[in-house]
Amino acid sequence: MSWGRFDTRTIVLIPIAIAINIVLGQTVSAVLKVPIYLDSVGTILVGALAGPIPGLVTGVLANLVWTYVVPPPFHSDFAAPFFIVAAWIGAWSGIVAQLGLFRSRPNSTWGQVAIAAVVVLLVLGGIGYYGFVPFYTDGTFTFFGDTTNASPFFVAMGYIIGIGFIAAILAIIGLLVVRRDVGVGYVAVAGLICGIVSALISAPISAIVFGGVTGSGTDVLVAAFQQAGADLSKAVLQQGLLSDPIDKTLEFLIVFVILQTLSRRFVARFPQGEKAIGVEPGAVEPSGVEASGAEAG
Amino acid sequence: MPATPSRYHRLNPLTKAIIATTASAGAFVIGGYIGPIAIIVVMLALAYSAGELGRLTRVSLLLTVPIAVSVVLVNALTHAGTTVLFVIGPFDVTLEGVDFAGQIVARLFAISASIGLFILTTDPRAFVFDLERRGAPPRVAFIAVATIDAIPTLVERAAVIGESQRARGLDAEGNLRARLRGVMPLIGPVILTSLTDVEERSLALETRAFSRPGRRHLLWAMPDTGWERLVRWLLVGALVGLVVIRLSGMV
Repeated sequence: MSWGRFDTRTIVLIPIAIAINIVLGQTVSAVLKVPIYLDSVGTILVGALAGPIPGLVTGVLANLVWTYVVPPPFHSDFAAPFFIVAAWIGAWSGIVAQLGLFRSRPNSTWGQVAIAAVVVLLVLGGIGYYGFVPFYTDGTFTFFGDTTNASPFFVAMGYIIGIGFIAAILAIIGLLVVRRDVGVGYVAVAGLICGIVSALISAPISAIVFGGVTGSGTDVLVAAFQQAGADLSKAVLQQGLLSDPIDKTLEFLIVFVILQTLSRRFVARFPQGEKAIGVEPGAVEPSGVEASGAEAG
Repeated sequence: MPATPSRYHRLNPLTKAIIATTASAGAFVIGGYIGPIAIIVVMLALAYSAGELGRLTRVSLLLTVPIAVSVVLVNALTHAGTTVLFVIGPFDVTLEGVDFAGQIVARLFAISASIGLFILTTDPRAFVFDLERRGAPPRVAFIAVATIDAIPTLVERAAVIGESQRARGLDAEGNLRARLRGVMPLIGPVILTSLTDVEERSLALETRAFSRPGRRHLLWAMPDTGWERLVRWLLVGALVGLVVIRLSGMV
């Protein structure tokens, strides 16, 4: 396990990555008003290309710089306390890339695709069963637990969001089948794990410091859960466990697509680039060269 | 360096950063209404002395009002409580909810006023270089300063690419679906072209001894006085004291 390296290329990449985080994050939260953030694409990219420690540093610096250095209009007064969450996202994406999970695996056989789909479903089901259901129900499988005291508006909203969540899962499996790329499955699972841990870290900060409200689309969810009878910290955690996994999975998939789109030559020059996208198909793996050399000798 | 119009502007950047951080953390640690409102009043007074009262009020309101509205709606309407003030449709507005929302809003404005005052009275580059002079790693300083330049570049690039895509017939206006469809053709090229800039920039930096080890000698230093150092230590000490008092449950 290598922790990653700060070469000049990485140092130059980090400010651009932070700028992508800030501009994309600010635009999404201010304009689209949907319950996702998209403010970590740059951090994930640095983690994937340079390693866990550069990813971690990018995450921390991104949030501190957002509050202490960036002048208005892209300035945010409230980003700094969440730097720990960003650190986790950067470090995790570095580990994920080092394990080779960001690699594209095109033209997988249908058997592999089926196995990947089953694995994705199992992992999602496991996460759903142990991670989500206990928070949303009191033993019975209704999305909000006891809904008798909640307004019909929020119950309907809850079901719409639940259906959206299931649709997102189906879309990932669809992408998996259409592209026949098992890599999509790995990336999705890595993103989900990232999101669940992020939610667990960020919920206390958000609830204690900011009363659970960020001014973006996620606030509707907090209101919905609170109306359904949860206290504030529970409502914020439920909101996080719903929107963070979707958000991070989406961001991991965006980075996955970016890594495939960039030229191999460009990616391979970063400290962890070759590990992230794998060696070109058809090219001899470095270990393979050694092995055949040993045989010849 | 831009002109430094007031005494507050001329303070060492670290002093202003510590004022901002201890004030916003203090608003959180003290809680309630009186503490945060006192901090807001102090910050506005400092802003007045710096001639930035108008700008600070505007920036702070712009950043905080949308969040404050959310806080009030979410907590006043849905916070559980026993003392029902009045009922709007399906929502019970409770005293507890209004009280909670009020405290959060006071805290948000205190944080926003403190950080906003720092941002408006400090040249971010001066702050970063001062930190570097005090021993922050030069590469961290480079990252922070380069980010300031990278953001407008990125926005400009996005505008250019947006116009090019519209010239090619991309319809990114209208309902939500059309706008969502317009997102990928915009952010895809923006991110990819920004990344390919990395190549050129890192070569340019390498030819200028960027990776040379050792310290840089900065040719200027921000003035720093003994009493500013004292103020900084006092503020940090006061914050630590507050945290200890809160944790030990004396208040």
